[in-house]
Amino acid sequence: MESNPDPTVAAPNLSVQLGPLHLKNPVMTASGTFGYGEEYASLTDLGRLGALVVKGISLEPRAGNPPPRIVETPAGMINAIGLENVGVEVFLRAKLPYLRGLEVPVIANIFGNTIEEYAGLAERLDGVPGLSALEINVSCPNVKKGGMVFGTDPAMTAKVVEAVRRKTSLPLITKLTPNVTSIAEIARAAEGAGSDILSCINTVAAMAVDVFSKRPRLANIFGGLSGPAVRPIALRCVFEVTRAVQCPVIGIGGITSAADALEFMLIGARAVQVGTANFVDPSVTGEIIEGIGLFLKSEKITALSDFIGTLDTSCLFPFAEDACNSIEI
Amino acid sequence: MEKILETARIICLDSLAPTIVRLRLESPAISAAAQAGQFVMLKVREGIDPLLRRPFSFHRIHPDKGEIEILFRIAGRGTLALSRLAPGDRVSLIGPLGKGFELPLDRTTPIAFIAGGIGIAPLGELIAQILSGPAPPQKAHLFYGARSASELLPANTVAELGLPVHFATDDGSFGYNGRVTKLFEEFTACAEEDFRPAEIYSCGPLAMQYHVAKWALANDALSQLSLESLMGCGIGACLGCALPSADSGPGHDLRFVHVCEDGPIFSAGSIKWNQILIQQSPPPTYLFS
Repeated sequence: MESNPDPTVAAPNLSVQLGPLHLKNPVMTASGTFGYGEEYASLTDLGRLGALVVKGISLEPRAGNPPPRIVETPAGMINAIGLENVGVEVFLRAKLPYLRGLEVPVIANIFGNTIEEYAGLAERLDGVPGLSALEINVSCPNVKKGGMVFGTDPAMTAKVVEAVRRKTSLPLITKLTPNVTSIAEIARAAEGAGSDILSCINTVAAMAVDVFSKRPRLANIFGGLSGPAVRPIALRCVFEVTRAVQCPVIGIGGITSAADALEFMLIGARAVQVGTANFVDPSVTGEIIEGIGLFLKSEKITALSDFIGTLDTSCLFPFAEDACNSIEI
Repeated sequence: MEKILETARIICLDSLAPTIVRLRLESPAISAAAQAGQFVMLKVREGIDPLLRRPFSFHRIHPDKGEIEILFRIAGRGTLALSRLAPGDRVSLIGPLGKGFELPLDRTTPIAFIAGGIGIAPLGELIAQILSGPAPPQKAHLFYGARSASELLPANTVAELGLPVHFATDDGSFGYNGRVTKLFEEFTACAEEDFRPAEIYSCGPLAMQYHVAKWALANDALSQLSLESLMGCGIGACLGCALPSADSGPGHDLRFVHVCEDGPIFSAGSIKWNQILIQQSPPPTYLFS
């Protein structure tokens, strides 16, 4: 590529293709960190988002776990919300109409206690105008049934994905948990069962205690760790998954800046989701999108797709003998 | 209500007591929209330590000057870092958030204000607004308690609020020896004082608010309690700041309200007090340093 320092050159192409899903840029909001979009409307330009993933939806409304539900930890937070949500019918009636008005693909994150409930949600949401994809949550650590129970077993993961696949023609994303021995194995199972895209990671199982009261900080005792603290773990998981499957992968975990997002794309993630950072800085997604563009421009890369997966892990010994011998004295 | 993201400049930081700091901020957009009882989410500094914003109620609102005041107790990493900032420094705010206090419709009714510890913060603006109104209440008393005298605002600062103040400390180091709610109960039961509040405004730890709620329900007083809960985002997205609701939804045994959006002001009867876990009332300090 010819270098061109002219600042008037066209902005880099940030669009990405994730299997059947086309996004104008790779930055999405992560489920459970952005409500149903409207909460953020006055604080950020929702129209700039690559896609918006809404709070996890179940067939019936869920009250969630008793409080305390969150605790701050070094460079992160642990949550045990317990998938509190309004249920699919209220979502369709009261939340989706607003989202339809935005020029942004909306992805519904779905959660069930049983395989039948996942299938039921897929059936209910199939063909609904205004939805661009489903993200199957088989990785929530904060509920006793469903969720991570499915996502830690390759055969169960496959069963959930197959059941959902049979009920919908929407693009399917399966969101994976890092709380497993081999995330690659789960990833292959999800892909084999018909998932078009994989996203990882969900939160890392964690806990916090208080030495003064001698009690757990969370009513649920355990929760899921998120935020910058988990980013290196997420990066390793995404690396493993991208090398285990053919389908596109969305990187999630502790992203707070364009540099963080680019790390995931360097190792092969086709897109990213931003989660906890939305709580801290509601306009962070816009800054990340802008930052990715600035990076590509400064590196003279015309399309983001040319950067994705370009991590070089080959061995090079710049001071090996041959190299030294060539030095002219 | 529009939420505003604004960078505020610190005008001054005043240490009012060993652990209590008053922070005055230049924040024109938020001060113009703020109501008593609402709050801001404040990012103490750039970076990821501490990661999350911290909620602070408006202690005073000066829309004419484009300024707000917050009052905080140094209680952990966030507030310690905040106390070390200097005039001219900038902090990021999101606000005004939540639903504020509703001012009394009938200003002639007797009103009780009850504050526990740093719970005095939102009552400052509320009291100022109610007392400066066209028909200030004939009877209004402030009951103000803390664990110890060192955690109370100085008496002369409190006197500036312009109403009778009754102090209490858990250790007896200043004013009434005991809980502020006990003082309140004894005072209202005393025939000579002839003070039966029809409206109660309170802010303080949940253990205090429980006793305020009990009194309000037993005595049929209107109550507006400013409640607290650990908060992740403050804007209704993380659903972290839940409290058990007195209304159980259809098909659920228990439903939760969220302090940031449904509150922070709640009536005594809207909370299912017997479902609040002990962890929800954290020990008073986490500071090791």
